[in-house]
Amino acid sequence: MGELLAKPKSDVLQGTLALLVLKTLARGEMHGYGITLHIQRVSSDALRVEEGSLYPALHRMEQDGWISAEWGTSENNRRARYYRLTAAGRKELAEEEKNWTRLTQGVASVLEFV
Amino acid sequence: MSLLSRLKGLFRINRLERDLDEELRSHIEMRTQDNIAAGMSSQEARYDAQRRFGNSTLMKEDTRAMDIVGWLETIGQNLRYAARMLRRNPGFTLVAILTLALGIGANVAIFTVVHAVLLQPLPFPHPEQLVRVYDDILASNTHDVGMSPPELWDLRDESGVFQDISAIFSDDANLTGGDHPERIEFQGTSANYFTMLGVHPQLGRVYTLADAVPGFSDTVVISDAFWRRNFGADPQIIGKKIRIDSDLYTIAGVMPPGFRHPGRTLTADVDVWATAGFTAAPFPLPVVRAARLLPGAIGRLKPGLTLAQAQAQLDNFVAQLSRQYPDEYPSAAGWSLRLVPIEQDIVGNVRTELFVLFAAVAFVLLIACVNLANLLLARSASRQREIAIRLAVGAGPSRLIAQLLTESVLLAGISGAVALLTVVWLKSSLLRLAPADLPRLNEISFSPAVLLFAFFISILTGLFFGLAPALQTARGSQIIALREGTRGAGSSKHQLKFSRFLVVSEIAFSLVLLIGAGLVLRSFWHLLEVRPGFEPHHLTTAKIWLPVPNDPLKDNYVVPEKRAAFYQEILRRISALPGVEQAALGTASSLPMDFSHFQSPFVIENHPLDIERTPVAEITSVSPSYFSVLKTPFISGRSFADSDDTKGQQVALIDETLAHRYWPNSDSDAIGQRLQLGTANNRNTDVQSPRLTIVGVVANIKSDGFDAASAPHIYRALFQDPDYGAVVYLRTTADPGTLGDAVRAVVQHVDPTIPVFSIRTMDFIVSAFLAERRFAIELLGIFAAVALLLASVGIYGVMAYTFSRRTNEIGIRMAMGAQRSHIFKMALREGTMTIAFGVVAGSFGSLAVTRFLQSMLFEVKPSDPGTFAAIAALLAAVTLLACLVPAHRATRVDPLSALRHE
Repeated sequence: MGELLAKPKSDVLQGTLALLVLKTLARGEMHGYGITLHIQRVSSDALRVEEGSLYPALHRMEQDGWISAEWGTSENNRRARYYRLTAAGRKELAEEEKNWTRLTQGVASVLEFV
Repeated sequence: MSLLSRLKGLFRINRLERDLDEELRSHIEMRTQDNIAAGMSSQEARYDAQRRFGNSTLMKEDTRAMDIVGWLETIGQNLRYAARMLRRNPGFTLVAILTLALGIGANVAIFTVVHAVLLQPLPFPHPEQLVRVYDDILASNTHDVGMSPPELWDLRDESGVFQDISAIFSDDANLTGGDHPERIEFQGTSANYFTMLGVHPQLGRVYTLADAVPGFSDTVVISDAFWRRNFGADPQIIGKKIRIDSDLYTIAGVMPPGFRHPGRTLTADVDVWATAGFTAAPFPLPVVRAARLLPGAIGRLKPGLTLAQAQAQLDNFVAQLSRQYPDEYPSAAGWSLRLVPIEQDIVGNVRTELFVLFAAVAFVLLIACVNLANLLLARSASRQREIAIRLAVGAGPSRLIAQLLTESVLLAGISGAVALLTVVWLKSSLLRLAPADLPRLNEISFSPAVLLFAFFISILTGLFFGLAPALQTARGSQIIALREGTRGAGSSKHQLKFSRFLVVSEIAFSLVLLIGAGLVLRSFWHLLEVRPGFEPHHLTTAKIWLPVPNDPLKDNYVVPEKRAAFYQEILRRISALPGVEQAALGTASSLPMDFSHFQSPFVIENHPLDIERTPVAEITSVSPSYFSVLKTPFISGRSFADSDDTKGQQVALIDETLAHRYWPNSDSDAIGQRLQLGTANNRNTDVQSPRLTIVGVVANIKSDGFDAASAPHIYRALFQDPDYGAVVYLRTTADPGTLGDAVRAVVQHVDPTIPVFSIRTMDFIVSAFLAERRFAIELLGIFAAVALLLASVGIYGVMAYTFSRRTNEIGIRMAMGAQRSHIFKMALREGTMTIAFGVVAGSFGSLAVTRFLQSMLFEVKPSDPGTFAAIAALLAAVTLLACLVPAHRATRVDPLSALRHE
């Protein structure tokens, strides 16, 4: 999928980025750079989030109330903004995960059909 | 919730920006550190980290665009930037603001008048139901002949058209009891007048049906102006008694200052309102249907009835009454009733003028806008680089256009504010310029509608003159951004063409305005050239009024001989006053251009009756010296003599028009003939109208004004037919003020209760008559002159700009051998073409538009070719002059420096 997430032009792709971010934050609070690293590492470099699309997405999700943010200190003693899931965000994550499963199962079924 | 947080974001915008910046910086830092740890050089590491963000400007913008707030912020940014641009070019900004403020201010001022006089509903509940009722006699083409009391009652009770109706008659009256007698304006009405209008007093009460009596009720209501003028706004005024025309009345109430009688009055405003039942003295008894003693009536239509429906119902009612009373309403006479909405009654003849002025001032603003558009276009050339860069960085053209429009709207907004403040500040001076008899003058004020108008017209103006240049500039800059290194000829050519188109339209608009003003001016000249039939210079007039008490027994002057004797006495004394060359008297209707006239049908003895069209003439009574004081020549026969008194033969004088009509062969044929006032079956009055013998023919006097076709005149001898009021005519060079005092002393020596008022020179009356006309012309003239100036400036600017852009083209030509004169001719030819197009377009436009001026013109056709040609020539000459300087400057181009100018 490579640079798939580079410029989310459609809602599906945008939603995918949101899903990944929400899932990442489900594990605990993290700053923007950390989220990028996590996704990159866990997907074995298959997914690379372009910073240019990450921050707008984070901002939007914050406006929608799925995540909240506050300033903290990072590992190397820098000021960084840490994001965490809200209760609404948790619900949204569950919803999105369900949708994603259904989508992929559907795609798989079609591909299997000979 | 998100909306709320977005709005909250609006207020924390700066902090948000800083936060975001810091967040991104820390992100970049972290990645940089990781990159270094992974082995990159510190420079590479940082470069890589930054590169990942791509166009951070765009990204930041995208991030911020997530807020609605971003939109508002963009506007704020635009405004700040626009303000900065304006500050950087103070010269341009100042000129632009002055031009626009002038245009917008004039529009706001005229709109204020239009709104108060024409648009605002009259200050009565349901003003659309109020109508004026006119009686007309169609057969003799006489209008507004008056109504009788029984007719009034029938209209109220039987017609089914009115929910209420009141008689109205305006009159002069004597107020005595003070140091000297004073003349006041007196309005007699039915008892329901105030309740019908739905108005309330500021003090005391108004009279109502409960106060109705057969004659005049003792209760009167006074106006605010009268209260302040005569009683010093005495709060104890209620219950005070005043003596009017020798009768005592009690003041029951005072009307508020904003209240005006909704109709024509004799002078500026009514002083005293009284009510009467018209069935007792001083009204003639018995009350008969044929006695049309009520000059007019105002009614309130039943709710839900349109004017057309009411008129139709009334026509049926007229037919019904005519059948019921065939003697009083002979079918040959063609009696009919006419309903006119009172607003039209009050404002009618001013409507066209005001709309014309409004259109004119809108044109001026239009021309100013076009000028400004051209100015902006010229300026945009110097901003090409700035705009091209912005386009290159990624700003969308719509963003750019929005920015440019914000500049023009800001400019217009500032001008609008300046204009509004100026108009408000100058309000009283501007009002003084308006003709004093402009209807509803007292209602002119700055209502919210005016403020809204000022606001919208400013915004519209800004958008109007900014749009085209903005579009042009954005498009032009796009081309430049793509074609770096061109000589700029490509895009400029487009702009130049557009500029030239704008100037053509400017010239066309100016021409329309100028032709309109020219036509109106020409008809005014025609008006002034009309010979009035008398000599108005060195002629002073004054009015006197004999009281008419309600009880005829108390009336000193009830007998005509007494009145005649009074007049003879004062005439004798006044003629002896120092400074008076000659004096004369006449009834109120004898004063030319004073709006009081009395028309009556008449019959010439021994002449075939004209059944189709009963002839009508203006009737007035004058003393023997009237014509010589007015310097009106005699055509034949003699004037009245002192021997023509109440005992002698009843005589009359007729004017040329009448003489020519009935005795076309020779005027002297009229001498000795007899005529009688009234129609053949005359039942107008209780007194049989006497037969009059014609003793002379005089020249025509234009008593109704210079442009009205006046009816022929019949003059009776004042001492044979003395009225209760008279006008004193004095041929004199003395100052009217001192002379007026002298006359007053003389009159009051004979009878101390008689006031002398309205002391005016004839010149003053004539000029007052023309005042409204002159005012409209002055304004139109000013607007037209301004338009001409703007158009000249416009073409000058465009020509100058055009040639400055084509310096190197000119340089090349000159280097190739073109003579200076050749360049000059070429430049002039271009200018001439532009002007020619403008004049042609303007001429067509004028033909289409000037027909709306018809009602303002006198003896001038709206398509008068002479005026068109003269004005077009004037405009062409002035604009051609404006071209000369730029054309000349074009020849001054030094080819060497022009070519080096790469």
